[in-house]
Amino acid sequence: MNDPGSNKSRAANEIEAVATSWVMRRDHGVNSEGEQAFAQWLAADTRHRGAYLQAEAAFMLAAGGDLAPSSATDAPPIADDDKNDEKIVPRLSRRSMLAEAAGAAAILALVMAFWPSGDRYETALGEIRRVPLADGSVAAINTESAITVDLREESRSVNLKKGEAFFQVAHDPVRPFTVAAGEVRVRAVGTAFGVRRYAEGSEIVVSEGAVEAWSKNAAGNRIRLKAGERTFVSVLPTKADTKPALAETAAAVPAIDRALAWREGKIELAGESLAYAVAQFNRYNDRKIVLGNKAVGQERFYGIFRTDDPEGFAQAVQSSLGVGVTYPTAKAIRIGE
Amino acid sequence: MKETAQRRELVAWVAREIMPHEPSVRAWLAQRVTSPADTDELIQEAYCKISELQSIDHIDRPDGYFFQVVRNLLRSQMRRARVVRFELIAEIEERAGSDPAPSPERQANDSREMQRIYRLIEQLPERCRQIFTLRKLEGLPQREIAMRMNVTETIVENEGARGLRLILEGLREQGEALAADYESRRGRNRKSGSPL
Repeated sequence: MNDPGSNKSRAANEIEAVATSWVMRRDHGVNSEGEQAFAQWLAADTRHRGAYLQAEAAFMLAAGGDLAPSSATDAPPIADDDKNDEKIVPRLSRRSMLAEAAGAAAILALVMAFWPSGDRYETALGEIRRVPLADGSVAAINTESAITVDLREESRSVNLKKGEAFFQVAHDPVRPFTVAAGEVRVRAVGTAFGVRRYAEGSEIVVSEGAVEAWSKNAAGNRIRLKAGERTFVSVLPTKADTKPALAETAAAVPAIDRALAWREGKIELAGESLAYAVAQFNRYNDRKIVLGNKAVGQERFYGIFRTDDPEGFAQAVQSSLGVGVTYPTAKAIRIGE
Repeated sequence: MKETAQRRELVAWVAREIMPHEPSVRAWLAQRVTSPADTDELIQEAYCKISELQSIDHIDRPDGYFFQVVRNLLRSQMRRARVVRFELIAEIEERAGSDPAPSPERQANDSREMQRIYRLIEQLPERCRQIFTLRKLEGLPQREIAMRMNVTETIVENEGARGLRLILEGLREQGEALAADYESRRGRNRKSGSPL
């Protein structure tokens, strides 16, 4: 066993305890808030990232199924019962990923490389891009995100490959506008809505009109969202016989506007926790904010900030909450001791 | 975090090719650093480096690669602070874990290391093992495992986490046992006057 007198040794055990419980929690399924807390924990320390990989590997050994690189996989779901999804790039199902074959992966990579996927738009860290589409719709693409757009006579398909995007959809009743984010689908006729993709589902925020959302694995279980509503469509569990979690939450219109403030390059806070605010800033900037302790993260905060101004935010926190702010390196801002 | 499919591939590779060698790497490290805590820290840092790999295609010898990552970390840690005994600096420079191409002997060793991990999993407490088995063989989500075992979902989550913790702890203990083994052999060699 370890030297019980050593702080460092205890720290390793403690990190492992947190890492292993995150693996189980995320396997169980967490909401977007949980996912944010996880991302923040992961970003806080290189040792967290190391321990998390160890815990994931241990989980795969104990409960993950076949590890062999040459095992058979489930066929990738290239064909879809949904006509509008025909052009969406094939994506491995969760189960087939577990048994992913190196050979199959190589073939799949080839298929993906030549699959007609339409125009691709990508943003770098901190970049927010507005793209007018040929049908008159406008896409706003948030930091570190990617979309492909495929406009056809009978359908308009967007694939949110990663990150977050907002769509102001030009009205066209004969050409439905469908956004695919992993297994999640959102369909609109003429409306405005945002989609943010996470590993285990997608968050949808509607600011105008109405949309329909569902998970590809349970297309019968659809949810309708009106302006001012938001939801998280989970893709876990992915077994065909279990319905995906569909949680509908009506939010006040100002909250929706705040959630979409990124389109103007702003982060608006109205009593959200400091931990949440920090996770937001860290999405846009190379210079990461680190919270010195948990208690500070619970503080509520108000204000409007530029996404690219974490320093301004830190100063506001310092002056209004009276917590210390230090700048240990050019890549870090530390709030609280 | 990376795209899910890519991450899965990396995790499977780590489970298959890296983690079984962890006790050997730990034992190697234990002879070169001053405290078990330093070993723990360097191992976690090494896994972090591995988690940043964009591709694993170029790595022919994962065990050698693991040693190399740890050795580089150790060297740069030494540059920052004198945490290592001075006389060991030269020793670290020698190539660790770098035998020639895969041999039958090496493959036997690899499979022995894999067996060691599986034995750890077999020795887990009954409830942990049952959870992992239902997850693995029947592909049940945690919610259904809880129903099947007639416990709460929180218990499934906590017991699963405990099982994973015990696996990581077991690897640490195997590393310590190996290090003790090396140490005693080294002592014997010294007494008999034969070279290391």
